[in-house]
Amino acid sequence: MSLFTALSVSASGMSAQRTRAELLVENLANSETTRTPEGGPYRRKDAVFATEAQPSQFASMFQDELGTGVNISEVVEDTREPDRRYLPGHPDADAQGYVAFPRINPAEDMVDLMGASRGYQANVAAIGAVKDMINRSIDLLR
Amino acid sequence: MLDPISNRLERYMDLLSTRQKLVASNIANADTPGYRTRDIDFHFEFMTQLAGGDTPDVIEAQGLKTKNDGNNVSMDRETRLLAENAIRFNAAASLLKSEMRVLRSAIQEGKQ
Repeated sequence: MSLFTALSVSASGMSAQRTRAELLVENLANSETTRTPEGGPYRRKDAVFATEAQPSQFASMFQDELGTGVNISEVVEDTREPDRRYLPGHPDADAQGYVAFPRINPAEDMVDLMGASRGYQANVAAIGAVKDMINRSIDLLR
Repeated sequence: MLDPISNRLERYMDLLSTRQKLVASNIANADTPGYRTRDIDFHFEFMTQLAGGDTPDVIEAQGLKTKNDGNNVSMDRETRLLAENAIRFNAAASLLKSEMRVLRSAIQEGKQ
């Protein structure tokens, strides 16, 4: 039944928004991190969304065209120069006494986090509506 | 399968589920850069289906504002359609159920 494809489409949306929220929370947690395994300060990460056809068990060409889910095509790191603050006593300070901090604006991440949360809620609502339709169809047999 | 009314209800529910699937796709891709809102011309497709037409054509929804990233999904429009489709589907399902009840009572009474 084609409605089940709608469920997997919404599930892909939920998964993508959750991954985005995880990255944003990671950015907030690491807003003052000066050491990373790669060296240098932490760099802000963000997710890039791309459409993805949801395979259906009985997929015809037509159904493939209809069920367009979403996935994360790549995670991009911020390439901006780190924020340099003058802290001569800091263990990570360079010869001039400057410490490189991540260029993270908490307001920017919080706003994106709200967007991710709302997007997740919208996908949950879509699953609820589609599930109700499926249940109604099953109810016809009773 | 049953009578013309049930047959039409079946087509109607079929088309509603197709539309609901597109709405779910639009909501899932609300943050995908460059994604365009997809929809079907419901009235036209329903008339085509009743005349024995083939699978509906997916078109791009018109008159929506495009955001900076080339995406034109309007969350207000999609949530409205989501609720509307569910209500219409439920109404059609109830009607179909009562049609079936008539058929079932005919079978039951015939047994006696």
